Amino acid sequence: IFFVHRASPSARGLCIPTRAVCDAETIFALSSGHGRCGVAVVRVSGPASSMVLRNMAGLTQALPPPRTALLRRITDPKSKELLDRGLVLWFKGPHSFTGEDSAEFHIHGGPAVITAVLQALGSLEGVRPAEAGEFTRRAFHAGKLGLTEVEGLGDLIHAETEAQRRQALRQMDGELGRLYQDWSYRLKRCLAHVEAFIDFSEDELIEDGVLNQVDSSVRQLETEIERHLKDERRGERLRTGVQVVIAGATNAGKSSLLNTHRVPPSRGTTRRPLVEREGVRRARQRVEQADLTLVVVDSTQLPPDPQLVAAFLQQHLSTVLPSPEAGMTAASDKVLLVLNKSDLVPEEQRERTEGELRERPGLPPACFLSCSTSTGLEDFLTVLQSRVKTLCGDPLSGAPSLTQARHRAHLQQSVQALNQYHQYRDQDLALAAEGVRLALTHLGRITGRVGAEEILDIIFRDFCIGK
Amino acid sequence: MLAQKLHLLRHNVLSFVSSRTGSDFTRRQYDVIVVGGGHAGTEAAAAAARLGAETLLITQKIMTIGALSCNPSLGGVGKGQLVREVDALDGLCGRAGDAAGVHFSILNRSKGPAVWGPRAQLDRERYRQFIQSELLSTPRLTVLEGSVDELLVSQPNPEEPGHHRVTGIRLVDGSHPILSSSVVLTTGTFLSGSLFMGQTTSPGGRMGDAQSCAGLSYTLKETLGLRVGRLRTGTPPRIVKESVDLSLAQLQAPDKQPTPFSFLNTHTRCKPEEQLPCYLTHTTPGVERVVRESVHLNCHIQQDAKGPRYCPSIESRVLRFPGRRHQVWLEPEGLTSDLLYPQGLSMTMPPELQLRLLREIPALHRAEIRTPGYGVQYDFVCPTQLTPSLQVKSTQGLFLAGQINGTTGYEEAAAQGLWAGVNAGRTALSLPPMALSRTQSYIGVLIDDLVGRGVTEPYRMFTSRAEFRTYLRPDNADLRLTPRGFEEVGCVTLRRYKKAVSVRDGLQEALMALQSVALSSTRWREKLGNISLSENKSTTLNGLDLLQYKDVSFEMLASAFPECLSQYFEYSQRLKIEAVYRPHCEKQSREMERIRSEESLSLPSDMDYLSLPVSLSQEVREILDRVRPNTLGAATRLPGMTPAGIIHLLNYVLRTGQRNRHTEHRNRSSQKEGEKGQLCASNIPISQ
Repeated sequence: IFFVHRASPSARGLCIPTRAVCDAETIFALSSGHGRCGVAVVRVSGPASSMVLRNMAGLTQALPPPRTALLRRITDPKSKELLDRGLVLWFKGPHSFTGEDSAEFHIHGGPAVITAVLQALGSLEGVRPAEAGEFTRRAFHAGKLGLTEVEGLGDLIHAETEAQRRQALRQMDGELGRLYQDWSYRLKRCLAHVEAFIDFSEDELIEDGVLNQVDSSVRQLETEIERHLKDERRGERLRTGVQVVIAGATNAGKSSLLNTHRVPPSRGTTRRPLVEREGVRRARQRVEQADLTLVVVDSTQLPPDPQLVAAFLQQHLSTVLPSPEAGMTAASDKVLLVLNKSDLVPEEQRERTEGELRERPGLPPACFLSCSTSTGLEDFLTVLQSRVKTLCGDPLSGAPSLTQARHRAHLQQSVQALNQYHQYRDQDLALAAEGVRLALTHLGRITGRVGAEEILDIIFRDFCIGK
Repeated sequence: MLAQKLHLLRHNVLSFVSSRTGSDFTRRQYDVIVVGGGHAGTEAAAAAARLGAETLLITQKIMTIGALSCNPSLGGVGKGQLVREVDALDGLCGRAGDAAGVHFSILNRSKGPAVWGPRAQLDRERYRQFIQSELLSTPRLTVLEGSVDELLVSQPNPEEPGHHRVTGIRLVDGSHPILSSSVVLTTGTFLSGSLFMGQTTSPGGRMGDAQSCAGLSYTLKETLGLRVGRLRTGTPPRIVKESVDLSLAQLQAPDKQPTPFSFLNTHTRCKPEEQLPCYLTHTTPGVERVVRESVHLNCHIQQDAKGPRYCPSIESRVLRFPGRRHQVWLEPEGLTSDLLYPQGLSMTMPPELQLRLLREIPALHRAEIRTPGYGVQYDFVCPTQLTPSLQVKSTQGLFLAGQINGTTGYEEAAAQGLWAGVNAGRTALSLPPMALSRTQSYIGVLIDDLVGRGVTEPYRMFTSRAEFRTYLRPDNADLRLTPRGFEEVGCVTLRRYKKAVSVRDGLQEALMALQSVALSSTRWREKLGNISLSENKSTTLNGLDLLQYKDVSFEMLASAFPECLSQYFEYSQRLKIEAVYRPHCEKQSREMERIRSEESLSLPSDMDYLSLPVSLSQEVREILDRVRPNTLGAATRLPGMTPAGIIHLLNYVLRTGQRNRHTEHRNRSSQKEGEKGQLCASNIPISQ
């Protein structure tokens, strides 16, 4: 119960907890890249890993020997429907990446197969999609990572959080986002009203029937979420693929770049021109959601002295890109600089500027090109294509199936928790409220965490509470 | 000369002999000095003394020690939990409540035992008497009447973090300082306090008491450089009971059988039939009219632009929620008192308008006011400047508790007072400070919220603030806190410890006995008659499983298996509660563990976040620099903190910590083991 505060300098360090922090839950994630790939790897870690393997790979008897690949039919644990044929591997803890019992599924790389497997995993009791960086964090807590590797962990989690955030932003923009936000808002009110009834109804005048309203709101929410889970086609399809945004000042040549029709025809690339009319705020929002941003600059606007160009571009980027806090720094590999209208700049100036900008730390790669003469376009496309390839091979860049599986799992858990509300409603309101709290925690994993203060805000707004 | 001006209530003979010199009645050196004799101060002084520290309590007026400045009641939903926890750590307020209560009730009786709110109306006189006589009989505790003018501070101990070290106090009229290793300030509303009634303002912290603390306020703000904020509160007029037409109000009876607050008591001083009723009445449109007409004469309300989210006064109620009926409780002030306390009618308008307002309520149409209501504005010290032991981060040995930290309520004050007293005592006795986990107690939730997030309005405890509400129940506060309070903290007496241990063992045995009786659900139905069990016929259920069912009581099971269960009758209610909640608490234990391991990772208080050589955004750096969280857990809960930031922080502190430890290892290798032991998170006792 009591923690001794270590105030003396001798004890100012930090102690690693001896046990993994959330060691009892089993997590899964797609560990390979998304997009067109031959094989996808899905990792599972946690105490239920053996159960997962038994259920999904039809291993009723003994588990395979650890670290040995086995070709199995992979089936849905509930419907027994065949999902894929693939390799399964079993890692007995502590001899695994995370130090826990783990399993791997090597399946075919098509989006349909991946989605099906992830959803099947999410439907198992005690198994949930991993949070950002969770595999690595578990490995860290199990003492599987050295101190130098830990240094990379922060960056990794940052990257994963960023990827999830971008994915979430895209989604929250659409119909599905509005739906989730609406559920979250209604659930918050339900909780606030139950909490108000618990904390204040003995002293304050809380209108009769507050709980009855909560009853029907909770029931309504359950119905809606369940219906949504049953009928996926009704929900808006997640936007898939790598999102590329073209940004720049008026007349820099954004539309020309788009209209060259030569932007890589690789599948899954969304072309989204940015029109000035959208306004700065909206433009920034788009950039924030993008996996890759092409910043187009009019070369004739560059300072004639090549030595000043880097500073000029830096300044320009800071006006186009969202704040570095949002994870988009100029040095980020998610930005390419396109210096358009190169044909209007003297040859010598261009070459010297190019030399100046080569391998410049803090600046993204810059390509001179001319949309009207097509000079430099080939080189630019090579750079762009390699970027898109990297992004597709990166499991973090907007893998919609993973996001879908995460959402499904959280929504399912949310509905289950709401069940607890009805179960205890007349017997024990504290336990009933616990159900609503839990439901909000799960929904909050999609829409954002809700703290006690936010609930109190609603209580004090909706009810007259005295001193 | 000093001694002549000071009235000494009592001095402990043993501690006194050694230091008595000449005509001085007081020692010049104490382990702990507590300033203030309210709910926080009395608990702090008593706790420090229980720990074994020579303690001095200084108060402006000895007669007001243990006075209930505002409402004559204790406990309630959330607050009752705090009282039970203070009692479990051997504090005073629970037993004082049992001695002074005149109307006991368990609020939320129909809503589940986790949110039951033990509450009592109090006899003011009995409460004061109990607290005063309790302090009188506390060994190592001396009480002194006086007004503190100045805190004495000196250079810090370089071994510890901080810019200053407290060395004692100086009294307003005393030339000699009184020295101590630690000081607990519990000055309530007296720090730069001012009183408001109508358009008049006067300095002070409570009507009828001297103003104070100008010097203290200066020391805190100027010498120690602490950030302070300003808060407001208020109290209603006191009404002459005879002038109230109680037939027009609704009678609210107490519980037939009073439930004591204290785990030590089996019954309350007030007999069931001696209890007094409360009365409920409502405001009328006339009340709203008087408020609106008097707004221009009401300084306190006019200044209320940035008030709290809730409604601290009747004025704010009708202005913010117009056209509604508001509840007014008429509460007894004591067995012999001729006054009633109108809960819900705190007001600051001129006295003549207060009378007009009251008389708009039918039951009060002839009401007479004994003392009018008034408002108070006072300074509080932003509590993010404290550690979880309630010590001021910058000043070694200085502890703050109660309203000075931005809280409201007797129970919140008592809880902080007790914990500040514990740590002031530990510091004086050269023991390391301690923190309470928010996973284990409401006191932990309270302190963690205060020091981790700070306050923008007077902080009051609600059960909705506790993540682990189903575990932090009023029924199990003794199991949660008493054994550790004795074994690790030292603030619990042997008598209470023995009692808690015997209850713990008894419950454990009873739970095992319940688990040992197992039958098929068909057989259970035969034994217990018509109960609805959802399990199918062949499932075997044990007694504990069965007790989870709504319609099954321990008594029913005991009559079915008298030979092995009837001896546990005294625990029947606690067993029933345990059976229902246990599965839920077990589900939460993982989350508890996570929070506790983060709580146990402390961040150095002198970290320079702005120039830390790690990858943190400027925004996150500024947040960390402003709040200076004490632990990684507190940092995690800060709004704006990113998961990546947490990992970078963890990594940095880990590396520097290792470096420190290496040097440390060379110097004092023998101490390493002890440190390690302190940091290991212990298992969560659900009912052990």
